[in-house]
Amino acid sequence: MKISGLPVIQSYWLMLIATVITIAIVNASQLITQRISLLLDRQASELLAADLVVISNHPFIDDYAREASRIGLQVSTTISLTTAIFIDDDAQLVELKAVDRSYPLRGQLERAADLVGHRTKVNQGPAAGEVWLDSKLFSLLGDTLTIGSLGLRASWLLSYEPDRGGTLFNLAPRILMNLEDLPGTELVVAGSRVEYRLLFAGEQDRIVELTDWLKPRLTEAERIQNLENARPEMRQALERTRKFFALSIVLTLVIAMVAIAITARYTASQEAPKIAMLRAFGISQSRLYRFYAWQLARIWIIATLIGLAAGWFSQFPLQWTLDGWFGKSLPQVFTIRPFLIAAVVGFISLVGFSLPYLVNVIATPPMQVFRHISDPQSVRRKLMVSGVAIASVFLVLVVLMQNSILAIVTLAIVLLVALLLPLIFHLMINLLLSTTLSRFWMRQYLLSRLKTSARGAIFVMSGFSLALLAILLIVVVKNELLDSWQTQLPDDIPNYFLINIPTGKVNGIKQFLDDREVSSSVAYPLVRARMTHINGQAVDTIEFSDPRAHHLARHTFNLSYAEDLPDDNAVVEGEWIDSANTRAQLSVEQGLAKTLRIDLGDTLSFSVGSELFEAPVTNIRSVLWENFKPNFFIIANRQLIEDLPQTWLLSALIKDAQKSDLKQLLSRFPSLTLLDITELMARMRGIVERASIALEFFFIFALASAFIVLLAAIQTGKRERQMESSLLRAMSAKTSQLYRINVLEFTLMGSLVGLFSAMFASLSAWFISDYFFDINYQFSPALWAYSLLSAGLILTIAGILVSRKVYNISPMRILRT
Amino acid sequence: MREVTKTVDTPDGSLDILQNISLNVEYQEALVIKGASGSGKTTLLGLMAGLDNITSGEIELLGQSLSDKTEEQRSAIRAGKVGFVFQSFQLVQGATALQNVMLPLELGGANDAAERALDSLQQVGLGPKKNTLVDLLSGGEQQRVSIARAFAVKPEILFADEPTGNLDAGTGRQIADLMFRLRDQAGTTLILVTHEAELAQRGDRQILIESGCLQNQEQR
Repeated sequence: MKISGLPVIQSYWLMLIATVITIAIVNASQLITQRISLLLDRQASELLAADLVVISNHPFIDDYAREASRIGLQVSTTISLTTAIFIDDDAQLVELKAVDRSYPLRGQLERAADLVGHRTKVNQGPAAGEVWLDSKLFSLLGDTLTIGSLGLRASWLLSYEPDRGGTLFNLAPRILMNLEDLPGTELVVAGSRVEYRLLFAGEQDRIVELTDWLKPRLTEAERIQNLENARPEMRQALERTRKFFALSIVLTLVIAMVAIAITARYTASQEAPKIAMLRAFGISQSRLYRFYAWQLARIWIIATLIGLAAGWFSQFPLQWTLDGWFGKSLPQVFTIRPFLIAAVVGFISLVGFSLPYLVNVIATPPMQVFRHISDPQSVRRKLMVSGVAIASVFLVLVVLMQNSILAIVTLAIVLLVALLLPLIFHLMINLLLSTTLSRFWMRQYLLSRLKTSARGAIFVMSGFSLALLAILLIVVVKNELLDSWQTQLPDDIPNYFLINIPTGKVNGIKQFLDDREVSSSVAYPLVRARMTHINGQAVDTIEFSDPRAHHLARHTFNLSYAEDLPDDNAVVEGEWIDSANTRAQLSVEQGLAKTLRIDLGDTLSFSVGSELFEAPVTNIRSVLWENFKPNFFIIANRQLIEDLPQTWLLSALIKDAQKSDLKQLLSRFPSLTLLDITELMARMRGIVERASIALEFFFIFALASAFIVLLAAIQTGKRERQMESSLLRAMSAKTSQLYRINVLEFTLMGSLVGLFSAMFASLSAWFISDYFFDINYQFSPALWAYSLLSAGLILTIAGILVSRKVYNISPMRILRT
Repeated sequence: MREVTKTVDTPDGSLDILQNISLNVEYQEALVIKGASGSGKTTLLGLMAGLDNITSGEIELLGQSLSDKTEEQRSAIRAGKVGFVFQSFQLVQGATALQNVMLPLELGGANDAAERALDSLQQVGLGPKKNTLVDLLSGGEQQRVSIARAFAVKPEILFADEPTGNLDAGTGRQIADLMFRLRDQAGTTLILVTHEAELAQRGDRQILIESGCLQNQEQR
């Protein structure tokens, strides 16, 4: 008997669409994530002026630059040193930076003709013979400055320099000059404290290639700086954004998989009588397996072709949105990896979710199908279906997420919820049924309908709940993330740091700002210190596993002291500094503590010039680096360091109208340095806003999958619903009664789905926000309202659409069964 | 019914399932419709009960014309006056025996549905199993629930389509006994479709349908 001549399974189209969506999601998310990541990296790269930097205190051997050029990367060199220039016979310490014509490789410089004038973005630094000056040195604009042995004309004020310093507060005024002029200054001689930087930019894989090439060759004095270790605030922002991407993709994929699972179950139930009939005719199981394997393969091939194309095309609306907004194209990615991954994930999902159902149906004795009975073996087969489905999810996880702990945890939560939901729905319906009512019609009747396994209502409700849960989670975490950013970066956040304030000038500067109604922060003291020992062991001799730790331990710390815990800081271990207690106390930021393996009670030793001191760590503290407020890795008690050499810093919000006062401020307090962080903040905001647009886009996929889940939900149990309507009609039920029972069935399903989706979404959002995004999740009544309303409304509308047909259902059907 | 014809469209054109059937069923009569599979006997039962509309002819149920009536109107004519017993029981799964019997009563707006349903269940001997889910009952018990449901509304006419078709011979006989006993007690008109000769013998009159045509009638 030629079974391939059987009509194609009618429910295939739903399964096909669900698979197409899965493949499209994976393909698009892989393509888009790569492109967005590249864009985010580039944007963040602008803060390094490159994609990768090697820093050293001695000149580089040529190999590095030559290798970089050989593999097609752009290279730039900068040399920085601290020197003094003379202004009216007073020596002024400046940070001199000599740059070549390629600098900056990422981002742009900004210059201005005077302090309040229009800023112009430029792609190159000063020409030979010129210097650009920090705003603090504005009075020298137009003069010829003597730098070392060379006279250079001060042609512009330097308003913005992308890679200005790894920390914000230890800057002398900057002078930017051309690298060609540096030898003429004769400032770089043997023993000079000079920082050499090699900057690299180019394709990401080339950067990785160079990094791998560089690592074994770097000397003790050389270190790599990339986006990950450049700035704590940027690192935190990028990490959160990437985590959020991973979360959204995995959740969208969950909905798509739910759609495949529901449609596969529906397909198998539709096929069951046909398979039973074929088996009764003597068709072997192996022949049926081959037939359905081929059917699935056909679905996969068609879905792959359509899904990959859909994924590819779906990049473009996002690209247009971002292009319009930022005037910059998303970087292109040319690799077949996203397509391969999408095809493989599609295959695993389709086979993993549908084959077990079909195997189950094929293995069921025909008589059991005809007589609608199940034997104890069917429990084992059901467990097999669940087991294979769970294994498929994990396989997809391995292919797609690799090492993302967030993705693994999210999927674990989803699986847990997927197992819990049917149980909860079952219990809930039983509970409602157990409340004795004298009447059967309509509430009890409705609940009996939902409980009947043949309708698959509980399965459909669980699937729909998971889809809604995933959508709610994307929305909730996105809103939480945006809210937390907006809270940290409100429009009235200080936009200037005033640094290098001598102790005696703090009150004068505060008074100056107050007189002009400029809002400013508390002034923080800064004591520049080097860490020498941890628990008596010299830092130089400690082996750190984290390469970042070496750099951190050796860099100059800006210690501060404070009586009150600064804003957006929280003590995570120990007690905050007791200001009344004169004994030595230190508070250490938790990231630093983790990197340097510092624990509560450890003793840290520091040197400030020739002075040495040590103190125990009395608390570990979390810091919100992205808030752009003065933040410190280490805070001491006042008594410990107040007598050491120190300068002060404060932040201020200087509005455009108040900027004309800056000239006067700098004239009155010449040692003061102003640091404008407006640009830096704008870039940080940009990252979050771009990320949120990209996420809106994933939402469309999530909704498309949810729609398939809905269609499958309507299809599942359709036959049973029609038969029941037919029976009720034979028992003289009115059309209005039929209409109500059908609509109410969907409304009840929607309400239960909405209720439990909201409950699990709240719990999951709390867990994910707290553990992965460091956000304090706020319980949201709106979430419950949205969930209940959306699920209730959508399913009620579906019920109304389905119930329109009850008018046409002939009671004769009941006789024809 | 007078000269009733039922025609359906098939891929090969129109097909007359019933042709020019004229038939009158008396008050409290037990009419048995016999015929081979596919002869049109179930269609005839459905048309007489107003479960479907006829293509041509005239048909009246309980003195009211069913011709040119909508499904809703035909349903209203049936309400509270007609009961059904089906071959495959057609009970609401997930509900108890009592709830199944209450259903048609409540649909008709009865306020004492529970009492009447229980009374009906006791008549079929299932009072002790009133709270048992019908999914857990045997085939014979399920058909008894179905009979209790049909008689609960105190119908003037009972339509039964192969009521013993899904049961073994012994259980089938018990069900037939029960149905006829209740019908005799209530004086209900019975229209019964069967292909079993033994059951057919219990009717007051038998008619034979062949290829959609009424062949002959036998009076007991």
